[in-house]
Amino acid sequence: MDASLIVYALNLSAIYALLAIGISLLWSSIGMMNMAHGASFAVAGYGALVAGDLLLPGINAAMQGSALLPLVTFVVLLAAGVGSGALFGVLIYLLAFLPIHDKANFAVRGLIVTLAINLATVQALLWWFGPRQQALPNIFGFGRLNLLGVPVRYDQAATILATAVLLSVVLSWLRLSRKGLEIRAMMQNAEGAALSGISVRRTALPVMAVTGAMAGAAAVLLSQTVYVSPGAGAMPLIKGMIIALLGGLGSVPGAAVAALLIGALEAATGVIPFLGQRMVLLVQFGFIILVLIIRPRGIGGLLDETRK
Amino acid sequence: MSVVLEINDLSAGYGPLRVLHEINLSVQRGERLAIVGLNGHGKTTLFRAITHLVGWQRGSIRFDGTEIGGARSLGEGRRTPGIVRLGVAMTPQGDAIFPGLTVRQHLDCGAWSRRAWKERAKRREAIFDLFPPLRKLENTVVGTLSGGERRMVSVGRALMTEARLYLIDEPSLGLAPIISQRVVAALREIDVMDGAMIIAEQNVSLLDGQVDRMIGMHAGRLRGDVGHVELG
Repeated sequence: MDASLIVYALNLSAIYALLAIGISLLWSSIGMMNMAHGASFAVAGYGALVAGDLLLPGINAAMQGSALLPLVTFVVLLAAGVGSGALFGVLIYLLAFLPIHDKANFAVRGLIVTLAINLATVQALLWWFGPRQQALPNIFGFGRLNLLGVPVRYDQAATILATAVLLSVVLSWLRLSRKGLEIRAMMQNAEGAALSGISVRRTALPVMAVTGAMAGAAAVLLSQTVYVSPGAGAMPLIKGMIIALLGGLGSVPGAAVAALLIGALEAATGVIPFLGQRMVLLVQFGFIILVLIIRPRGIGGLLDETRK
Repeated sequence: MSVVLEINDLSAGYGPLRVLHEINLSVQRGERLAIVGLNGHGKTTLFRAITHLVGWQRGSIRFDGTEIGGARSLGEGRRTPGIVRLGVAMTPQGDAIFPGLTVRQHLDCGAWSRRAWKERAKRREAIFDLFPPLRKLENTVVGTLSGGERRMVSVGRALMTEARLYLIDEPSLGLAPIISQRVVAALREIDVMDGAMIIAEQNVSLLDGQVDRMIGMHAGRLRGDVGHVELG
């Protein structure tokens, strides 16, 4: 095992953490299992693609040869992905949350409605963009950074760094802002929050937008290694969901730890000779089933701020 | 207008279960009212019907001239934040609180109005004056506090924004006698100004001399206005 494997593991963990924390947050604050998270992911990928087609030629011409060009490109694509993810989150809020959030069995209804949105969105993307896989422009080239003797690909470094920044922004927003206080109050006791004048409808909107934006960020960051396609959201959705489950649904620190574990496991499985890349999913799911048998509430399930 | 709360023919319940039967009640401005009765006779349900937290309800509830009742069979909690924002502050039964927040954050949650949020530091100080034991617990997580301290936090949360109707559910539930006396004494301290306060309680002797009026509740009906009581 060498050091670049650790970088690879961190890279995977970063993307998984973005997805799993979003799913976990949504479940614990508004009690919705968002099956359309994968659609947010795919839509954000296409959002970045379209924005790239529209804006990048102009930017390339304006900044010909500048050293800052990759950075500007990265920021533009990331902003486009985050923005379209957030917009799609708002759409899910309007279609799947507002009409049914106070009806009986919201958890199950929400699951079904968001699943329908997921399928419809994938079909809409197929119809509009076609089934062909498309690549986002390669931002950083194939160069490597030498970090303390460890070769790190530029895109890996950017992914890890951007995720760390994004997650700390989201987490400190939750910790420090008034909205964050309201969201955490709602996570812990929805009825007590209602009695404190905190409206679920007003609080759910920013939560949906922020989790959509996190999915969008993950889509752009992952697009440096994986192509954008209409069905691209399925695997991230499944992995994000099981990692959220492994972390104990509703626990943000639990989801972060679970993402690190699964990322490391995936990287390690890939290099063990008799397992290899094709056994990654088998090992991952086996591991998660094992953990959930031993500890049904997941890693962070016993932490304080979770929905019972 | 001297009536804060006017309830007419209120029935409410959960699913097939009917808990309240045609309740009629009117509460005057500046009044402290106690509703006394045994467990399971509808005191909490009455409070939850006023704040739209029961499964279904019908009948009229007029709060300061605004109708907040009406017939509905679904959507519990949907209108609750709106009713709270009209000026109804309720402390729920037991320790229905936010276990992972600190005392300070918990109190801040109660400051929903723009003005209350702006001067929340001052208002926290006022709560700490009312409940001195909370002052040194300001940064402690509420889930680790004792029952009495949690009750103080819960009542303090309701006091962070001024209301015209305070609904205090079972302030003594599960507390040692000396602590419940302290909580009730603090309730006595609260200035209801142009509003009113309703306390639901099982322990009648605890409220002796602390309220203006007592009403009994039995099997989902209000039974007799006891008036001011002095118990030996």
